Amino acid sequence: MSFEYAPAIALLPLVSFAIALTVGSRMPKKGAFAGIAATGGSLLLSLLAVRQVAGGEHHNEELLVWAGAGAGTELELTFGILIDPLSALMLIIVSLVAFLVHVFSLGYMNDEGEVGLPRYYAGLGLFTFSMLAFVYASNLLQAFMFFELVGLCSWLLIGFWFREAAPPSAAKKAFLVTRFGDFFFLVGVVGVAVTFAGATETPLAFAGAESFPVVAEEVVEGSMGAGELATFGFAPQTWFTILGLLVLGGVVGKSAQFPLHTWLPDAMEGPTPVSALIHAATMVAAGVFLVARMYGFYAVSPQALAIIAFVGGFTALFAATMGVVKDEIKQVLAYSTISQYGYMMLALGAGGYIAGVFHLMTHAFFKALLFLGAGSVIIAMHHEEDMWKMGGLKQKMPVTYWTFLAGSLALAGIFPFAGFWSKDEVLFEALVHGLGASPFLLAAYAMGLLAVPVTAFYTFRMVSLTFHGEARTEAAEDPHGVRWNVKFPLVVLGVLATVAGFLNMVPVVKLLGASHLGPIPLEALHDWLAHGIEGVNAEHYTLADESLTHEFAGYTAGYVGSELVTTLLSAGLSLGLAVVGAIAGYRLYDAPDPTEHTDRLGSMKTVLYDNYYQDEYQVWLAEGVTAPLAQLANRFDQGVVDGVVDGVSSVSLLSGSRVRRIQTGVVSNYAALITAGLIVLLIAVGVLGGWF
Amino acid sequence: MALPRWTALAPVLLFALTGMLVLLVDTFFPDTRRRSVLSGLSTLGSLAAVAVSGWFILSGPGTAFPPAPDSGATEGGPILLFQGQLTVDAMALLFFVVVGSVAALVSIASYDYLEEHSYQGAYYSLVMLAATGMALMATANSLAVAFIALELSSLPSYALVAYLKQNRGSVEAGLKYFLVGALSSAVLVYGISLVYGTTGALGFDAVAAALSGVDDAGLNGALGVGVLMVLGGFAFKTASVPFHFWAPEAYEGSPAPISAFLSSASKAAGFALAIRVFVTAFPPEVMLETLGIDWVFAFQVLAIVTMTVGNFAAATQEEVKRMLAYSSVGHAGYVLIGLAALAPTASGANTDVVLGASMMHLVVYGFMNTGAFLFVAMVEYWGLGRTFEDYNGLATRAPVACLAMTVCLFSLAGLPIGGGFMSKFVLFFGAVNAGFWWLAAVGAINSALSLYYYARVVKAMWIEDPADDLEITRQPLGLYAAVVAAALLTVLALPAFGFVSEVAVDAAASLLPGA
Repeated sequence: MSFEYAPAIALLPLVSFAIALTVGSRMPKKGAFAGIAATGGSLLLSLLAVRQVAGGEHHNEELLVWAGAGAGTELELTFGILIDPLSALMLIIVSLVAFLVHVFSLGYMNDEGEVGLPRYYAGLGLFTFSMLAFVYASNLLQAFMFFELVGLCSWLLIGFWFREAAPPSAAKKAFLVTRFGDFFFLVGVVGVAVTFAGATETPLAFAGAESFPVVAEEVVEGSMGAGELATFGFAPQTWFTILGLLVLGGVVGKSAQFPLHTWLPDAMEGPTPVSALIHAATMVAAGVFLVARMYGFYAVSPQALAIIAFVGGFTALFAATMGVVKDEIKQVLAYSTISQYGYMMLALGAGGYIAGVFHLMTHAFFKALLFLGAGSVIIAMHHEEDMWKMGGLKQKMPVTYWTFLAGSLALAGIFPFAGFWSKDEVLFEALVHGLGASPFLLAAYAMGLLAVPVTAFYTFRMVSLTFHGEARTEAAEDPHGVRWNVKFPLVVLGVLATVAGFLNMVPVVKLLGASHLGPIPLEALHDWLAHGIEGVNAEHYTLADESLTHEFAGYTAGYVGSELVTTLLSAGLSLGLAVVGAIAGYRLYDAPDPTEHTDRLGSMKTVLYDNYYQDEYQVWLAEGVTAPLAQLANRFDQGVVDGVVDGVSSVSLLSGSRVRRIQTGVVSNYAALITAGLIVLLIAVGVLGGWF
Repeated sequence: MALPRWTALAPVLLFALTGMLVLLVDTFFPDTRRRSVLSGLSTLGSLAAVAVSGWFILSGPGTAFPPAPDSGATEGGPILLFQGQLTVDAMALLFFVVVGSVAALVSIASYDYLEEHSYQGAYYSLVMLAATGMALMATANSLAVAFIALELSSLPSYALVAYLKQNRGSVEAGLKYFLVGALSSAVLVYGISLVYGTTGALGFDAVAAALSGVDDAGLNGALGVGVLMVLGGFAFKTASVPFHFWAPEAYEGSPAPISAFLSSASKAAGFALAIRVFVTAFPPEVMLETLGIDWVFAFQVLAIVTMTVGNFAAATQEEVKRMLAYSSVGHAGYVLIGLAALAPTASGANTDVVLGASMMHLVVYGFMNTGAFLFVAMVEYWGLGRTFEDYNGLATRAPVACLAMTVCLFSLAGLPIGGGFMSKFVLFFGAVNAGFWWLAAVGAINSALSLYYYARVVKAMWIEDPADDLEITRQPLGLYAAVVAAALLTVLALPAFGFVSEVAVDAAASLLPGA
């Protein structure tokens, strides 16, 4: 069976976008059903794709050459589809969350009587289309284009309530900050195209024998000469690092990594289902996914890997500390999102390709769950988001409470919930490669480890404040009920947040010394990602003896005692810290009338509350540095460039009016001038030709 | 299918016959209300000429005709008629198309423009006869025919410029045009006589063959004076500086459709003749190296002066029609680059591209310039003023026509909205490749300046607020059709450019020696 249906995975939501936009206002639920049907269809087709990939098939096909077709051109720009284990997995995640969010929106938007719903569902449809197309993009430029398109959708949806003051401003901020990173990404795309155009037919492709990661690998390895590459005078490996870091600019912006994370908390101004879909589970994941997609390119550059790991570890800790003091439930979740993406970056940078993708998956489930849970609470609280005004919701909203609790346990990394397995693997990879290869990675690991109890603390502070204790306001006394359309997505995600971790139980495998327990695979995801298109799989990246990270970045595993001891030590350590943090958070805030214990942090709290003044310094950068520079450039343009141009034109006009004066209107003058002109020409040519 | 050889002249004959037919109709039915018949006849005649020429181009010039038994011409080559007095080749056919298209557009537009004028039979027959002369100029293969053809196109033009005989400007312009034309004709005919005196030949090929004898007889100077005077005569027809003085006044004073006709078709025909004479009768290698007559240098001077004077003067005009008149002079300068880059030092592989680019520019210019002048005709028809201010806010009243005008103007300026961009680009690019980067540079600077004054019209139409009393009462269907068709052809010239350039470069290559 072939993958002929593959384009429909992305195109179905595009159809729902068109429907919602054109006839949405005349439909019963303003376009919601079209969106649900389309994303449901995408989900089914994605499942079909996964089944085929599981059968050992892949799909890497060029669909359309939209520029440079024909002979004599070095570079063809194309659209194509690449379906391999990585993108198939991501397709499932995106279409599933999109489907559930569409259902949830019935409760959050339709039932609450919001206006402008066709616009909302059109935005969701366009986003889902763009995101799915990004996920299975077969080349870097296509990925960039859809990367931008999801950014546009994010802007549209954050600013959905554009008549209020905050959302449009937050939308602008999100757009501009991510665009700042994307600028580097674009330069990187052009750089990759220019660098590899001479050496290969498909310099931008992600996979295949002539794709840029493979060529880069061959060049660094020495099996292919660097003569055909344009490396602008750098050693190939150095130049690849530069290109990788340029692309990483887009990744840092989109995945909200330090220092471009500042847009994400503001993005919470958008509707909560949007936060769940775009700003937690999928779009923010696009950055991390891109690193995984072109992992072969990063794997040949130890510096790029180290930077990714360090930025990730730092962001994980840094964002977690800010989450501790926030008052609004969605703000806590926003900082937690930033922090969790930090873990994924840490994993990828530390050579834990599978761990990174694993955490990406579990996080998508439990964070979407937490956001939708928060959305449910917000509905119940009549759109109050301050946790200090909640309390005691546990008895009144049992479904929301129990699913939210499952998500929280996963987020905190408590055994046996999904987050425990993935976060543990992330930290394990960072630890062993840190021990074996570089103290730099150990530092990143230490930051990641430190973030564990902080994460657990703010998570259970949030749970306690929201659901435990006693109702602190009238709204919390008498919450608004939620319907099936809210509960259904919560239950589905709640189950996934509980069990998704069982896909990859590395510590269990190490403990048992076997990868299967009877017929049950214990590390299914591991096997899933290890195979796939040649040169684009985990086997090649990290697992094999001669894997890329081993060969080029020198990553070797180091152990404390034996491998088993290290595994158990790492798991025990992170679990222990998580439990300590969780209990602390729970105990401190589980009171009928809790007090703000973080006040004891004193001035430190102010620093945390103000996000380490990140926004302030970025505003200062914009106003204090960029604006004066722009002023200077403007003055140069106005004074020098325009001066020259104006000078030329005023000289032209002046001489123009002189020229005009020749035209006197008197025919005898014309006759004289014509004759004189001819004579002058005659004499000139005659003298030149030596007639006389 | 073998047609009689004289049928190769069908386009020229069609123009002449249409002119006669119009006169006949007008004689038997002198009722001026039949203006639709007259206009329709001229339009159809012109379109038929275009269609026939187009068919000849597509089938390859000369393939439909048996080679003359005595000419030694090969199958498919140019068709020589009347013992080599006329030649119908690819270039001639290309210019038939230009003249025919412009004549058709002008005839359609004149239907409305002449609504309240009498003697329309004279008008249309003069247009057709002038077109006959222009088409004949493109086929002329001897100096005698060249002179007669030039006069055949000029004499009707003088009358047409003075057609609005109640209008002082029109009459004065006609008279001035005639006087300057008489002077130029005198210069041309004297030049021809000098050439004949020194070479003893009138046919272009015969002149070229006799050139070596001139050197032996030591008559270089006399021939040189003759050649430059011939050049002067053509400079008059193409409105090149310093023979351009008639142009701004004639274009301004005459009925606007006639301005369009003269500035597009007449100029193109002048260039067709100039290109053929100078490339075949006075091949630059021989002229410069053995005779010391550097007419390429003369064209270089002419090109630079014409571009600069035309564009600079256009920039300071207050009236749109006069601005277009000067811009038309400036465009003559661009086209002159084709001849100015023919120096023997230029690399041979590129001269055909430059010369072809000149022809392409004339083709595209025929559409976009006609469109612009016909828009002016429409504004005159509405009775609005002539200055830039009078065009303020016109787009609020007539958006379609203004859009067409904008397309024509931007294409004239060389923006990539119409064929004008490509033809200028190939022209400058070809000049650079042939080694004349400075010609291209002057052209590019002038082109940039031209954007300023073209954009003034666009700004007035689209951005300025309309005057309170701006009112358009009538919708002239013929003018609208002509303006929109001209704009459409301008835009279509962009995708069709590959075909046009192929025809033009082939035509140029077949003219150039060694082809």
